[in-house]
Amino acid sequence: MNTNLKISNVTKIYPGCVANDNVSLEFNSGKIYALLGENGAGKSTLVKILSGVIIPDEGKIYLNENNLKLNSPLDAKKNDIGMVFQHFNLFETLSVFENLIIDSDEQREGLREKIDSIMSKYNFSIDLDIPVLNLSAGQKQKVEIIRCLIRSPKVLIMDEPTSVLTEQETSELFLSLKKFSEEGILIIYITHKLKEVMELCDEVAVMRRGKLVSVSEIKNENIETLANKMVGQNLKNIKKKKEKNSSDKLINITNLNFISEDPFETNLSDINFSVNRGECLGIAGISGNGQSELFQVLSGEIISDKNSIEFNKNYIGDLNPQERREYLMAFSPEDRLEQAAIPQMAIFENVALNNYKSSNFFNNGLINENKIKEHSKKIISDFNVNTDNIELKSQFLSGGNLQKLIIGRELITSPDLLICFNPTWGLDVGAINYIHETLIKINEQNKSIILISTDTDELLKLSDKISVIHKGKLSKIMDADEVTSEKLGILMGGGN
Amino acid sequence: MIKIVKRDEPSRAIFFLTPVLAIFLTLVAGGLIFYILGFKPFEALKFFFIVPIADKYGFSELLLKATPLCLIAIGLSFCFKSNNWNIGAEGQLTFGAIVSGGVALLFYEQEGFYILPIVILAGAIGGMLYASIPAILKTYFNTNEILVSLMLVYVSKLILDYLVVGPWSNPEGFNFPETRQFSDSARLPLLFEGLRIHAGIFLALAAVVISWFIFYKTYLGFQMKVSGFSLKTAKYAGYKGKKMIILVFLISGACAGLAGVGEITGPIGQLHREVSPDYGFTAIIVAFLGRLHPVGIIFASLVVAITYLGAETAQIFMQIPKYTGQVFQGMILFFLLASDYLLFFKFKFIGSKK
Repeated sequence: MNTNLKISNVTKIYPGCVANDNVSLEFNSGKIYALLGENGAGKSTLVKILSGVIIPDEGKIYLNENNLKLNSPLDAKKNDIGMVFQHFNLFETLSVFENLIIDSDEQREGLREKIDSIMSKYNFSIDLDIPVLNLSAGQKQKVEIIRCLIRSPKVLIMDEPTSVLTEQETSELFLSLKKFSEEGILIIYITHKLKEVMELCDEVAVMRRGKLVSVSEIKNENIETLANKMVGQNLKNIKKKKEKNSSDKLINITNLNFISEDPFETNLSDINFSVNRGECLGIAGISGNGQSELFQVLSGEIISDKNSIEFNKNYIGDLNPQERREYLMAFSPEDRLEQAAIPQMAIFENVALNNYKSSNFFNNGLINENKIKEHSKKIISDFNVNTDNIELKSQFLSGGNLQKLIIGRELITSPDLLICFNPTWGLDVGAINYIHETLIKINEQNKSIILISTDTDELLKLSDKISVIHKGKLSKIMDADEVTSEKLGILMGGGN
Repeated sequence: MIKIVKRDEPSRAIFFLTPVLAIFLTLVAGGLIFYILGFKPFEALKFFFIVPIADKYGFSELLLKATPLCLIAIGLSFCFKSNNWNIGAEGQLTFGAIVSGGVALLFYEQEGFYILPIVILAGAIGGMLYASIPAILKTYFNTNEILVSLMLVYVSKLILDYLVVGPWSNPEGFNFPETRQFSDSARLPLLFEGLRIHAGIFLALAAVVISWFIFYKTYLGFQMKVSGFSLKTAKYAGYKGKKMIILVFLISGACAGLAGVGEITGPIGQLHREVSPDYGFTAIIVAFLGRLHPVGIIFASLVVAITYLGAETAQIFMQIPKYTGQVFQGMILFFLLASDYLLFFKFKFIGSKK
């Protein structure tokens, strides 16, 4: 039996951002479809609409010519659309069997037989009676898939399924998906990994900034063409003035490794690079490839081997962030509201977070409030933060103003090196430009920047050198002038 | 027409006015309850809130009850300000009382100026030890401090029960569940002849001043605050966030333990089954009613202490159960939480045109 799924003119607008802009797509069973795009391209929004999690502002969904009303995930299930999310929705302490039957209305005993037959059909071997927390990531994913299969779905949507899987688990998953497809289940596979698309899928739809860019057959594409479509060629022509950089090494990282105990973190292996004075090193990559871990290792939130980081001729790998600030390093983390600032505290209190011995914000264990307030006023005026009340709680600042405050706080001590992670994430164009100008300015003052960002345009605009992080490893460092977005796209997807 | 609008910024005046509003609403609702029960509302409220403190003795009783409430609430404010939900102060108080009582019994019928400081210190250490359990479990094993600290309350009460009926019970006490009387050197001195108010009040006042200083003036206080809001931020700023969490629990436990010392070494002078009429729980209300501010907590402890006294007077003169006191405490918290809505929203009156 053939299944036909049609998305017709779907639009979803969030304040300040069009997540899906008039997207129309058609899928037929028997094929595996890839939905490809960078972070924020709108693919997650689209599949959430398909699975009933988000209700679109406009547009319709048809399954075999029937107009579907998907107001909740339950509606999607009832209409035979199954979805496996990137993050598992399982109860860790319940047994596999309990997890499988939890949302089912069928008889318990009949279900066990059904599950057994599904497992033997697709060669899954999971003990149904052990708690889920004892399973590996790949097995947990199989549990999620079985949970969908129990309802004999017509459509199965997989959202970035391989992000937590090992190589071997990935190839097992691909075998199963191909088998499902042969059985007549329509498969939509969401990813930003180009290699997987080439290996698994028959057709590919590319999204960028909420719009559908292209739909094509895989046999007409290769990794380069797909990367191009995904990243887009509309490079900003405003690029910073290239000056002769000094060859004076400011920071030198050698053989830096980080092995995490947390399975959701990425291990860093054998990181080596150096940054000269007045230079901006951009680190590109799709999020979740070790950027956050790299930032923490550089900032000192994660301590590493003393000799692995040499800064200004001092070995500082074993120092915490506060001690590193003493050597004139500054840090702007990715998460403004949960890490870089405390929304419930006043602006001047947030300024005091950037403190180290010589900042004199605290003397002999006492708060030096006058000094902090004086400093805060200077930041507000120097960095155009749109308020004059330093006692205001920072939750009342807009994202752009808060980011200006954070960058200002970090820069007002004139550090030699600023390490920033997605500094313009989620900001409006005006604020983005301001931050970009600020970053260019500090390079001109012969200070250095390490810019970790998932925004390729931003990296090409600001960096002198670029490296790509993929699965916790850095690519070789390239001259930004010689890099194209196409090449970055390939490296980001794990190609060569 | 009335419209509810979100405030751009919580108003500072409202922040300190809502507790007053909450108390006012409690009185109104209390009067209504009395009316329904068949009493004259104003007279009943007078019995509840004015008669008990109308004379010198009553006033001393008020301070006596307010002392532990204030002390515990000050300790709790350290925890609550840094988002650590220690609701087991009652257990920390009980355990502090057990340890200091045990020490006081060691010095049975001995005299010496050094005994009282040791007894007080033992109480603080007992409270700290007991508070360190939820703190360590929270920081190193990710347990929920609300559950752990609450459950430990019952454990401490059972330990106390066992001790006063079993090994520590007074051999000449005709099997009453209580220990021997402590020696005079192990007791907090009474301040006035014939009144029960004792030197514990100075401990509470010292706690008020010290906590104000730590929280508003020191780097340590700042680090506690930051760590409480976000451990990630604390790490980013280079603070030792986990140690800060343990520290606030220890401070809170020490204060509760000291309150326990006051209860047993003051007018009573022995360990017995009921060391505290739920001061540890009521102090949670005090802490919030006082807006977690040291001065606010002083006033709040006095207000809430009246409900204890009022309940007793009401029981004697109006034959209503003393649990009415708890009804009033509950109403205060209820109305306080409700009026906190005004912190973030305001009413806008829009003239209706016809």
